[in-house]
Formats: sequence, structure tokens, C-alpha cells
Amino acid sequence: MGSGDIFILALALISVVLSGYALWRDETLNWVFAVPRLPAPDPGEAPLFETLFDYRPKKGVAHSPAIVKHGETLSTLWFEGSSEAQPDIEIRRAVLETGPEGGCAGDPETFLTSAALAKAFAPGQLVVTLGNTIQNDAIESSLYATVVSVGGWAMASIAEVRMDGVKPVRVRKLDLSPFLNRSFLVRSPMVAYADGSHALPAYFEMGTTYGALVRLDAEGRVRDQRRMTGTGVKPIQPMIVVLDETRALAFLRDFDDSGRLYLSRTEDGGRHWTRAEATDIPHPNAPVAALSLSGGRILMARNGSGNDADRLELAVSADEGESWQVIHRIDSEAGEARYPMLRRLADGRILLAYSHHSKQGVRVVMFNEAWVAAR
Amino acid sequence: MSGVLAGLGMATLLSWVAFAILGWVVSPPLSVWIGGAIGGLLVLVARNTMILRGFVALLAPFGVMLPAIALRQMAAELGAPVVPFATFEILVFLLLYVAFLVSAIGVVPVDVYRVGYAPLPVAAMVLSVCVYGYLTGNWFLPLVAVLGQALWLSRWGSSNWFDHVTHVLLVPVALIVLVVRVI
Repeated sequence: MGSGDIFILALALISVVLSGYALWRDETLNWVFAVPRLPAPDPGEAPLFETLFDYRPKKGVAHSPAIVKHGETLSTLWFEGSSEAQPDIEIRRAVLETGPEGGCAGDPETFLTSAALAKAFAPGQLVVTLGNTIQNDAIESSLYATVVSVGGWAMASIAEVRMDGVKPVRVRKLDLSPFLNRSFLVRSPMVAYADGSHALPAYFEMGTTYGALVRLDAEGRVRDQRRMTGTGVKPIQPMIVVLDETRALAFLRDFDDSGRLYLSRTEDGGRHWTRAEATDIPHPNAPVAALSLSGGRILMARNGSGNDADRLELAVSADEGESWQVIHRIDSEAGEARYPMLRRLADGRILLAYSHHSKQGVRVVMFNEAWVAAR
Repeated sequence: MSGVLAGLGMATLLSWVAFAILGWVVSPPLSVWIGGAIGGLLVLVARNTMILRGFVALLAPFGVMLPAIALRQMAAELGAPVVPFATFEILVFLLLYVAFLVSAIGVVPVDVYRVGYAPLPVAAMVLSVCVYGYLTGNWFLPLVAVLGQALWLSRWGSSNWFDHVTHVLLVPVALIVLVVRVI
């Protein structure tokens, strides 16, 4: 046996030791969803619907608003600049006040810039522009931002951003693709699991294009990812609604302009997803937002046409997405109303944020289940 | 620590590029030493410039394999005993790696990249590479696989083992080697 052979055997031995350590340290993923327990609205509760924030920049785009809660600060974040995917795009925010007497919003302010993110990036690197940004529900004062270092959205990456107030202090890309983590983007809120962990709905825009559910460990590192694919369609931007401990629905935008909303299902906590199938809901090439209501119902904010996104409406399903009843037309002004996001407050009230006037404005409305019930 | 690793990876690749360019005008070992000095100095002096930050944004994570191949070639020029890969080995690697990349973009239902997050499949793959190295008498691949596993476990870089032992630039590198051998 030569010295080369002995060296290789030594490497194999080291590998066995490392593998043993890896197996010992590994925490098996829990695939049981946290099921939202939502009490029915108080019969005496007055219906509430009010606009908290309505903003249009003097010029350029303001698009893809998210609802974010860091500590006691509730805010809406969106990206704004001369045009989408341009270097002057920055993440702006308005702090939302949602007291029992009603809500309002503070003045828009710059929250994140490409330069600030680049400075906090590990390893240090260039950030050219920013896109969809959402709250990281798993870690306090943390966000997931879509960042682009080169090219357009198809070359974007998802970055985990740890904040100290309004300053990013640590930024790193999620390890999602052998293509140097390129072409993964984020849009929809995270999904909670029974053990307190969270999963991130994401989507891959290169090649065939698919939705994904990204499982993260306690440190926020990627531990697994599962796909939501379709046949002859490009299902992206999964909006996941949990039905019970093991079942969930993922509503998917078809990036191929089929004029339909797509649906994928899981029955094993997100490990496997059915091929995305077209629903009978006409929908343009745009994302939807959805969340659980009391009584097992689902609320969805969606566009009301298969051709364009001029109309945004709220619909409710009482049979796990099989059929829907439109309860309110939110926006029918000129221009597209897109990228809705729904988030529930601790007191049960619901916030809806969306962009209007074809990505040139952001609006946030607040309502409660009593209002939904009254429609 | 990921910044240090990225700096080392970038310095190695820049040294390799400088070495390759210098190889047209200067013979080894001078091209190796000058190339190494250029790569190291660039990272030390200019790592915060837009160009090098763009380089990191474009190519990180560098992993172990690509820098190891660069160091291996430069070491060979300095007279180190390096067992070259056989042409069929490079060809098989290229086919397997392209299939791996194709699976990552969703063309086939199997997602091979996914298994790089889990300890048991990674353990099996690293051991398989060690067995292959033992059978062929080439310690380079086992060394890269085990170093990649150690870095993966250290949590200094990617949480996926494949990011430590592969890099998309290996495709053009393998193609160039194959073309040069055919010529």
C-alpha cells in the first residue's frame, strides 16, 4: 500500500468522523404545520374597513408592498425608484398605527438601499438593485429581500437581512441553487410549523420555472427545499394557506399568461406538492394573497379578470378553495392593482397592502372579520 | 469567515487567470509566482472596489473544487507530482455535472441539488468519492470532497455541500481541457 492509498484511507476516516458529527448535530425537520386557531368574530363587533395609507410618488414606480412587524413597529415596505430593476430603487416604508380608535400611517421614508445592503453583505459584494421584500417571521428584526447583483430578475437572489433599527447589520444570500444562488425570488409570507420553525415560499425563474418551499434551520440556513411544478405552465409566487396539520394549498401565478390561477396541494406537511393544476379562477399573470379566516374559510385578494389586473377583489371560500364568493371590489381605478399582501394582526384585524395605478402607488387598507361577514 | 473564504477563493482564481495570461509571455515557474502575487495583491488592495465586489457577487460561493483545480495546475507547473485526469474522467464528470445542473432548473422531476443539504446523502457521496479515489490512485478528488464536507459542517459558507465541491465555471473549464486535448 503506497502513501497515496494511506492518505485516501485517512481522508475516508476523517469523512466518517465528520459524517457522524453531521448526523448527530442534524435536527430532523418537523413537517407538521402550525394551524391558525382563529376565534369567530364577536357578534357585537362593528364592521371595520378603513384606508390607512394611500401613496403615490411624484414620479417612477412604487410597487410590491409588504406588511412587516418588527417589535412593536408595524409598517408597510415597498420598492420605489425611477423604474423597476433600476439602480436607484430603494426599499421605502411607512409606519402604520393601528390603535383601537382606527389607523393611520406615517410619512414614507427610505428604509433600505442597495449601498447599505452591499456594505452589510457577507461576503462583501455588489448590489445593483432591490425587489420584493418580506418579513422573516422566524427571526426578530429580519427580512428577506430580493437582490440583484448582475442582470435582471432572472439573476436575482434571496438575501436574509438582519436589521438593527433601520440599519442592515448582516446580509447573506440563501443557498438555493447551484447556479450561484441565482434566479430565486421571494414574495409571499412565510409558513409556520408546529415546532416553531418556518418555511419560506420562493420561486425559481430560470428554465422551466417553479415554485418552492424552503425549509430553514434555527440559524436561518437552508435545510431543504421542495418544488411546486406544473405541466406546460410556469407556476411562481406560491401563496400558501394551511388547512390543517398536514394539508395546505399553494395558489400560484402562471408566468406564462394562461389567464388562470393555478393550485398545488400538499397532504404531508409540504414534503410533496401535487402538480399545479388550473383552477376555474380567471387570473392575469399576477400574484394573489390569501389567509385563513375563522371557521375554516379562506380569504383571497385577487385580480378579477384573466386578461388584466385593473380590478382587485376580495373573495371568500368556505370549502377549502373549491368555490369562491366575491365579497368586495377593492380597486377599480384606472391602471393595474397588483401584488396584494394580506396579514393578520394579533387582535384579528386584517391588513391588505397592494400597488395601484400600474405599480405607481401603494395602498394599505384595514378591515375585520365582522366586515367580511357583513359583505 | 465567509468573507475570508471568498477572499481566498477570489485570490486563487485571479492568480490563476493572471498565471494563464502570463503563460503566453513568461515561462513557469515565474508565471506562477507573478500570477500568485497579482491575485493576492488585487484582493488585498482592491477587494472593496466595485469590480472585485462585482466579481464576488457574480461568482461566489467559490467552493473548494475550482480554487483547488487552479492551485493544482499551478503546482504542476512548479514541478509538483500531479496525476492528470483521464479524458474519459473529464467527459463523464462533464456529463454528470450538466445533468445535475439540468435537474436544478426543473427540466426533470428529480432535484439532485436538494440532497446536498442532508447529512446522510452527503456522507454517502463523500465516501463514494473516497472509494473512487482509492481505486484510481488519485487523492485529489477525495481531498476536495472531504475539505468540502468540513467547510459545509463548519457553517462558514453554503449550507449545501454541492456548493463546496462544484462550481458552474467547471463546465467551461472542463470543455476547454477537452478541446485542448482533442486539438
